[in-house]
Amino acid sequence: MKDRVNREGGVHQGESRFALALTAPGLIVLILTTTFPLAYLVWSSFQTINLAMPFLDGFAGVQNYVDMWYDARFWHALGLTGVYTVSSVAAQVAIGLGLALMVMQIPAGQWVFRIVAILPIVLAPVVVGLFWRTLMLAPNFGMIDFIVQWLGFEQINWLGAPKPALISVIVIHTWQWTPFAFLVFLASLASLPGDVYEAARIDRANAFQRFWHITLPLLRPAIVIVIIMRAMISLHAFAAIFAATGGGPGTASEILNLYAFKTSFVELNFGYGSALAVALLVITMAVSGVLFYVRTPRRREARA
Amino acid sequence: MSIHRRAATRRKIVLMTVATFLLLVWVFPLIWAVIVSFKSESDVLAYPPTVFFEPTGRNYEDALFGGFSILDSLVTSAIVSVSTTLLTIILAVPAAYAFARLKLPAKKSLGFYTLATQMVPPVGLVIPYFLILNKVSMLDTYTGMIIVYLTFSLPFAIWLLVSYMEDIPFEMEEAAFLDKATRLQTLWYIIIPQVRGGIAVTIIFVFLNAWNEFLFAVQLGGNTVRPVTVAMYNFVSVEQTLWAKLAAAALIAMLPVVIIGIAAQKQIVKGLTIGAVKGGGRR
Repeated sequence: MKDRVNREGGVHQGESRFALALTAPGLIVLILTTTFPLAYLVWSSFQTINLAMPFLDGFAGVQNYVDMWYDARFWHALGLTGVYTVSSVAAQVAIGLGLALMVMQIPAGQWVFRIVAILPIVLAPVVVGLFWRTLMLAPNFGMIDFIVQWLGFEQINWLGAPKPALISVIVIHTWQWTPFAFLVFLASLASLPGDVYEAARIDRANAFQRFWHITLPLLRPAIVIVIIMRAMISLHAFAAIFAATGGGPGTASEILNLYAFKTSFVELNFGYGSALAVALLVITMAVSGVLFYVRTPRRREARA
Repeated sequence: MSIHRRAATRRKIVLMTVATFLLLVWVFPLIWAVIVSFKSESDVLAYPPTVFFEPTGRNYEDALFGGFSILDSLVTSAIVSVSTTLLTIILAVPAAYAFARLKLPAKKSLGFYTLATQMVPPVGLVIPYFLILNKVSMLDTYTGMIIVYLTFSLPFAIWLLVSYMEDIPFEMEEAAFLDKATRLQTLWYIIIPQVRGGIAVTIIFVFLNAWNEFLFAVQLGGNTVRPVTVAMYNFVSVEQTLWAKLAAAALIAMLPVVIIGIAAQKQIVKGLTIGAVKGGGRR
């Protein structure tokens, strides 16, 4: 650390310029490939751009945003986005943590869980959506459909009825990404100091007390960061829902992401689609802002 | 004492049962996909589903060489993913080095900018890219697709590599400086060999994300550039009932990422946890 201060003190004069030269190519590419299109998106959200009716194209002012305010389908999509994100992230954290705690206590064979857990993570979400749509949920074909009937329940049209469709896409997302939470928690648990538990055991803390007062606080950073990362992915989820239900039936599983997509590429109304995408961008930034604020440990707390 | 031990044993058994059940929940859809992929079309449609049947390799033959060949799509996916990965690494390694180790002007704001670009919703990029690429007639081209893929791979790669570079001991660089090595030589001969592992993890993540990408591929590609993920989707939308062939094709398409996933399991988990400890990461 001392060396670094020394060096930054000006021993090597050309360092800043060299650093800029190293970052410049990457940053220029980033600006051109993300910031420029994003500016274009914001611009087009103030335009009427309709490939089906190009003669109407032109500056629209805030009309798209006014339309959005009065658009029931937008508010519906926004609500679904909240339900989808909160429930799938909560399920991922709860199941992932529970499984990690269980597997930690299994003396041998942890590697089997690690291998199996990696599989859903590396699969393409579109393939996961298709597998579930066909192999698992399809009426009179899928395994889950079969099991439900074999258990004596009434057949459920999983992807064809509104409520089951929403539940299905949440389950599919949770299925694919819980292993991510599980693996992160397993790694974090393995790195926890053992002597704290020893002390707790001597103090006769029971299993629940040990979990609540020791494990959970120690895992807090990992839990918060998993929540941040998974919330981002949930907000932007697309391929699995698109493949499983396409947002349907009707708009039953149409989160904001899909609504913006369909408005643009199915209805060819790119102006309004852009405005919806801008709304999603603003929501993403707000959510991540709040989550990052929660994540940063408050100084006073740390000192106390 | 024996009561205690018996309770402990019972607890272990319950634990094992619950854990194994959850394990099956994750592995079952994949095993079932493998089973279905070896069924003939008539066996597939049997309901209740049959477990014993005459296995056939027809679906794999069709998916590779038959009327439903995904061979071209596999080649396309390979071209796009490998090019994206190479470009990303070439751009990200020097940038990450500067972020992690050098005195970079406006480092904080530039770092925040890189992180913020990761939060852009893909749908917010596919819309302007469609309009822009349409204007310059670059829809359905490899160049266009690779440019678009850089939007998610580059910020992620820089972020991940910074975490690895921060862990190199400063003494290594100091020694190199004392030996009058130029800065570029230091980067090439000292830093890069030190973060080989980190670069490998980054390559794996970027490649997996590019291979699995769907949203950009389905909307900005076409007949020339049709990655496997899009080919999979077309399977279902066109041929509703050919589920055994879909299973076979999907398993072929996912074979590369599954192999990488299992072979690099340790590195992937390490990458995930580095991301989890230090923040960032797209997946």
